[in-house]
Amino acid sequence: MTKTREYGRSRLLRLAATATATAALLAACSTTSGDDDNGGGTGGSGDVTAAGTYPIESLDPHGAQGASTGTQLAGQEIFSRLVKPDPDGTLKGDLATSWKPNGDVTAWTFTLRDGVRFSDGSPLDADDVLASFQRMISLNGPNAGNFTGSTMKRTSATEVVLSSPAPDASVPGKLGTFYVVPSDVGKDDTAFFNDPVGSGPFTVDGFTPGESLVLVPNKEYRGEKPAPSRVTVRNIPELSARMTALRTGEVDIVWGIPDDQLASLEREKDLTVRTVPSSAEFTMWFNSSTPALKDAKVRRAIWQAVDFKTIISELYPETGKPADAPVTGVVLGHVPQPPVAHDAAAAKAALTDAGFDYSKKLRLQFANAEFRPFIQAVVSDLRKIGVLAEPLEKEQATFTEDLIALKWDINFQQLATPSYDAASNLGRLYTCEANRNGYCNKELDGLLAAAGATADKEERTGLYGRASAIIWRDAVGMYPMSVSIAYAWNNDLKGFVPDASGLPDFAGVRKGGS
Amino acid sequence: MAGIAAVPEKVTTAPPRKRRRLLSRIPYLVVGFYLLVALLGPLLIDYDPVHTSLEDRLLPPGSETSTGGTAWFGTDGLGRDVLAQIVHGARTSVLIGVSTVAISCLVGVVLGAVAGYVRGGVDAVLARIFDILLAFPAILLAIVIAGAFERSVLLVVVALSATGWITFARVTRGVALSIRERPWVDAARVLGVPGRAILARHVLPFTAGPIVALATLEFALVVLAEAGLSFLGIGLPPSTVSWGQTIANGKEYLEPQWWISTLPGIALSLLIINVGILGDQLTARYRRGRTD
Repeated sequence: MTKTREYGRSRLLRLAATATATAALLAACSTTSGDDDNGGGTGGSGDVTAAGTYPIESLDPHGAQGASTGTQLAGQEIFSRLVKPDPDGTLKGDLATSWKPNGDVTAWTFTLRDGVRFSDGSPLDADDVLASFQRMISLNGPNAGNFTGSTMKRTSATEVVLSSPAPDASVPGKLGTFYVVPSDVGKDDTAFFNDPVGSGPFTVDGFTPGESLVLVPNKEYRGEKPAPSRVTVRNIPELSARMTALRTGEVDIVWGIPDDQLASLEREKDLTVRTVPSSAEFTMWFNSSTPALKDAKVRRAIWQAVDFKTIISELYPETGKPADAPVTGVVLGHVPQPPVAHDAAAAKAALTDAGFDYSKKLRLQFANAEFRPFIQAVVSDLRKIGVLAEPLEKEQATFTEDLIALKWDINFQQLATPSYDAASNLGRLYTCEANRNGYCNKELDGLLAAAGATADKEERTGLYGRASAIIWRDAVGMYPMSVSIAYAWNNDLKGFVPDASGLPDFAGVRKGGS
Repeated sequence: MAGIAAVPEKVTTAPPRKRRRLLSRIPYLVVGFYLLVALLGPLLIDYDPVHTSLEDRLLPPGSETSTGGTAWFGTDGLGRDVLAQIVHGARTSVLIGVSTVAISCLVGVVLGAVAGYVRGGVDAVLARIFDILLAFPAILLAIVIAGAFERSVLLVVVALSATGWITFARVTRGVALSIRERPWVDAARVLGVPGRAILARHVLPFTAGPIVALATLEFALVVLAEAGLSFLGIGLPPSTVSWGQTIANGKEYLEPQWWISTLPGIALSLLIINVGILGDQLTARYRRGRTD
């Protein structure tokens, strides 16, 4: 009996302990504003600490993680590319000094910069570029998908030629995700990527996957020496903790800030807050191979049923803008389309006319918790006209697998076009052959192929405009919103340029105050 | 309790004792109120987790909504009423608490009583199983089970029951071990009453006291664990309202819109604390009943 009693007491104690722990946790999560000592992580002057949106899981730019935001962010600081996009999306040479296509745009010749060295002092030449390209293709990571069937040839120590099976004008843009590593790096050389040798502005001083990456200037860097003496990119998954870290000065730069947090950050006088239009767009494909969504009229009606204007103005007043094309304004090939106005009654009538089965639940899949409010608002609007949609939040890996297998009815993605060229969005995803959303239209295929086959910008824009019109008219998906990325940084940082892809460069950042 | 000693001081001790008795009623009242809210609240206050009303988002407590109603406890990031979420969450919590405790209790009492009454090899095996499972952190096992399958109410109940029954089994075994040595059990055995009947009629009724007390405490733990799982996003599906989910939804808004997380948090804490005190009182009463 005493046993029982003690037992009860220890339970209570445990309860109390749990409650205390919860309270402590809550307290840790809550923000403590106003405290502006520059303590925390940053040490001496010239140390810059950043906390991005996504973790850096791997430094291998050719591997399975190669297309992830974290790996791209690390890759552009550690390695060099043939060409790279500016913060506003225009291409400029990195390793290449010039590039030009042949007559039918099936081969691009890149002339390489002379005298480039890796951080270990060894020279970088066409052999390294060729080996890196072959490594990327053989690892068959997500970036290799941009170059299916392409081959690279070394014509001299400072010249390579990239040939593609079909005319492709977007090759330079696509090469923005191709990084050059030394030619002796093997396929599964994990040891190399723990302490990689690159030719970018920085080298790695310490790397813990998913947690932090410490960068120091690369002494062999060909360009201007990076200003900060040390850059730490930390992963702080909890949003409120990230905001607190920014306020206390523990981190200097934060980006990917939700709208609800922006107002309070803007009130802080020590912080600069900026939003920049990005290449990312909320893209909600319909699975046109689902019998219920085969009819373009049905897809259009569903689009019409959702009051995206209200959703955007309430949930994303600062970082969202109603989209007017399948790609955003910063992307080559953007041509505005007529807006799809919200009209629930017309949508309902159109669905009933088309014989839509209201009893069937549509599977709406998405991957990130940050989009949950948006998805819930869409589901709520659809329910108002009797369309049942079930939000399915999936793990990233499951999401991607199901996406390819078309195991969904409506798919939500924040789809970015990192090459700033519609070819890698429209041209890659909307063909019958790609079959990414069950939609197939020979006329569209023809337009996309023609747009890829010419290097003339104006002509390409015109062709992508006509392709966009078909995609828009047939409602291959809903295109509700183009996304801006919100950045906030401490005022004593000088020279920080917010990047349109969410991949800021830290080489030019200096700490002015200290 | 205070028999002889209390007599001369009767006049001075009476009011505090009355007050104490009144105070000791509070947990009953609070828990009763929660049960009432869980039973009747959803009938009075309508709530649809799918419906969002964006123009009403993040309203502070007491504001008027666009439909003309009053959001007494404010609204969340999607314009949904927090009061309605607390009321409907109470039903979910009570439902999960009661079913988990019922399953744990059933399994635990049967196994514990068998182990304690039969003794011998059966007891040795069962008791070691209890010990081994008890050494395993309960919440960890619940997280593993809840995380491995698709979210549903049934899964949460199973995940929480998976370890919940062990404490019941251990307590029942302890009681059964001591009761089986009592004279009336011996008498029944001598009279040739079958073992199963002895267990059911002469042993099990005596476990009722400690089991009720334990069930109360277990209930509090289950409600807390369910909220924890839902907070982590591996508990109930989003279509089911749960305090844990409401608290998690508000964690982005802790500073400016404190009410989204705080109010359901208070509702949860009040229930846990009162059920805990109630369980302690029941334990104390049972102990007194046994020694008198």
